[in-house]
Amino acid sequence: MKVVLTKVMLALVLIGLGVGINVTYESYRGTGLSSVPELGPRRLEAAQSQASGSPVQSRSEPSSKEAARPDAPVVRPDLAALRSAAVSELTLYPTLAKGMRTPFDLWRYYGRGVSSFSSPILPMRFEQWLEFHRKQKPSLMKDVRSYMAMRFDFSGSTLPDATMSGGKSVMAGPVARLSDEVASYEALAELTPEEVRERDLFPYKPLAHPLQTVAHMVFPESWIKVHPEHRRIDVDMDFPDAYLPEFPPPLFLTTHKELGDVANGREVTIDNYYEIFDGLLTPEQMEGLKELLRPSPTTWFNHTDHRVTELPSRGVACFDCHVNGHTNGAFELGPDSRPNMARLRTDTPTMRGNFNLMQLSSKRSIRSMDHFSEVEEYFDGDPGMQQAIGPRAVKREVTNRMGDFNAILDYPPAPKLDPLMRLVPAKATKAALRGEALFHGKAQCSKCHSGPAFVDDYMHDLQVERFYVGRPEGPIKTFPLRGIKDSPPYLHDGRCPTLHDTVEFFNLVLQLKLTEQEKDDLVAYLLCL
Amino acid sequence: MLFFYFGFLKFYPDLSPAELIAGQTLTKLLLNWSEVRATLAVLAILECGIGAALVLNLMPRTTFVLFLVHMAGTFLPLFLLPEFTFKIAPFAPTLEGQYILKNLVFVAAAWTVLRPEKFSDAGGTTPVGQSVIDEKAKSDRGSS
Ligand code: HEC
Ligand code: HEC
Repeated sequence: MKVVLTKVMLALVLIGLGVGINVTYESYRGTGLSSVPELGPRRLEAAQSQASGSPVQSRSEPSSKEAARPDAPVVRPDLAALRSAAVSELTLYPTLAKGMRTPFDLWRYYGRGVSSFSSPILPMRFEQWLEFHRKQKPSLMKDVRSYMAMRFDFSGSTLPDATMSGGKSVMAGPVARLSDEVASYEALAELTPEEVRERDLFPYKPLAHPLQTVAHMVFPESWIKVHPEHRRIDVDMDFPDAYLPEFPPPLFLTTHKELGDVANGREVTIDNYYEIFDGLLTPEQMEGLKELLRPSPTTWFNHTDHRVTELPSRGVACFDCHVNGHTNGAFELGPDSRPNMARLRTDTPTMRGNFNLMQLSSKRSIRSMDHFSEVEEYFDGDPGMQQAIGPRAVKREVTNRMGDFNAILDYPPAPKLDPLMRLVPAKATKAALRGEALFHGKAQCSKCHSGPAFVDDYMHDLQVERFYVGRPEGPIKTFPLRGIKDSPPYLHDGRCPTLHDTVEFFNLVLQLKLTEQEKDDLVAYLLCL
Repeated sequence: MLFFYFGFLKFYPDLSPAELIAGQTLTKLLLNWSEVRATLAVLAILECGIGAALVLNLMPRTTFVLFLVHMAGTFLPLFLLPEFTFKIAPFAPTLEGQYILKNLVFVAAAWTVLRPEKFSDAGGTTPVGQSVIDEKAKSDRGSS
């Protein structure tokens, strides 16, 4: 009897303990201490009401070419699409320390950080940090390669007669792999977004940084070959060189169109820039160029222990990613969100033609190049880290000059376009001309891609999460299409390795129902821009 | 009791201080195959089960075996994540390292209180008396 009583008492104590923890937890989550956000019904409602409307107004009536009238009824997406905004299907970010591996499908996760600020302190001694990555990197890279091979078929096949401005082959596509459950991209396009989502068939889910606890810049192999000081101890590039921009790319100046590639096949560096540009630039542009070439310490490339290179690093210069004012395909994370794991992977965009852009960077809507140079974007959005790691020390006059040089970087030549950016029929192929008609017609591309740079300078929420279970990425700026063949991979995170993939992407997302022939025609047109 | 307590915490994301080490060790053991949250939930169930069983003296034999297996598991981070459990291996553990090493006390206590011969020799009292770890002392009382 006594024994039973004791047991009952003890069981009650255990239950009490459980209830106590539960109650404590409810008041703990959602506070600054906890990575678990508070998700009351109010928050969910707010998230859902934002997810209304479709990216292209006339989606439900593809025959109408005119822009939607303001009094037109708002097409509300159905409940299944709304649910994509709900957090119930997402998983909380795992608790991890710097250096530890992160899931490759981070878009299925959510949560908040313990703090908005980062710290220059490693979770272990530097020798251990090296040892940790010496053990982890081979298995990580093996898994990265098989993950990429699962998502993409990097067969290496190229498009006949298509080259980038400097002569590198343009890759053929689409290379994103389809699930065995659908026979073709055309069959996939027949399904509704809900079906694609439920059956997990979407081939263009986001790409995450392969090591998001450290994240930061990852350089392509072509760059590392020339700049071994940027080899990381923890992670390498996941894209093969063939699917990245040419290196070194040509450099065109708006002020010297007659000279063509001013760099003449060379990489512009702090050692040779003066010789190449003296007599071509104003002193202010020259100073700006020098600043774009001068390395400075970054969160993980610096002299301290808080680094991802074996030896201390002098840092990184703007042109180490935006090489020759273009891009080498290095990627980073957009610095505009917290926690670190919620930051989107972003490919380096070209700087060519930035003079025509009103929106800079995919989500931050920065409005001027001098502002951009000032915001220290590659310090991972944490000015506090500069105090610990070494300042960039860029004053307003200097960033203005960086902007001055940036402002004369021209697009590559597009000899088939007339001043109104229409194809000159005598110079273009039949396919390209058909593609142009589609671009302005059935495919609706020109709704967002128009004007001299083929960009509308707006941010659009393409609501891609209608097609897969994931955290909505929200509005992203339209990227310009002038000179687009030179800057693969495409979209902010590079999830579309080839131009064919971008056409398949928009065919699905905008539900255009293009035929195979029409898609090829569109690509033929994009190659002329 | 402590076992149940700390185990229960693992059900709640971000509440248990052992989440990082335990989650990573399990992930490594399962060769990155599983989802951390799910494996932590399994661990939490196991710990709560062992804790409750110890307190209520249910199935002492099975519990004892599970307990020993689990204890062996807790020492794995010393080998799998030396960078996080040692400042300098093997003599300078970090706080996490010490947290793991203190499990030796658990094992020793459990061994004294629950050592196998006691199962055949029901009703025997232990000279250990001292409730170093209250859970075991309690389960002991339950059996006598
Ligand atoms: C990883 C190497 C890297 C370095 C180094 C780097 N950038 Fe960038 N840059 C990026 C990435 C990635 C983006 C896209 C960011 C985004 O979408 O939020 C970007 C975007 C930009 C843009 C906006 C372009 C557009 O089309 O929206 C400008 C302007 C720019 N960088 C200038 C600079 C300047 C100036 C520096 C030197 C202070 C610099 N970058 C250094 C990678 C880099
Ligand atoms: C609703 C507006 C909209 C329409 C219509 C649209 N786009 Fe886009 N486009 C965008 C946005 C926004 C992005 C950037 C998306 C991202 O990075 O996630 C983009 C990016 C691209 C890119 C990648 C650019 C780069 O530098 O990575 C290509 C190529 C492209 N669009 C081609 C097309 C084509 C072809 C069509 C017609 C079939 C089309 N777009 C229709 C808004 C639109």
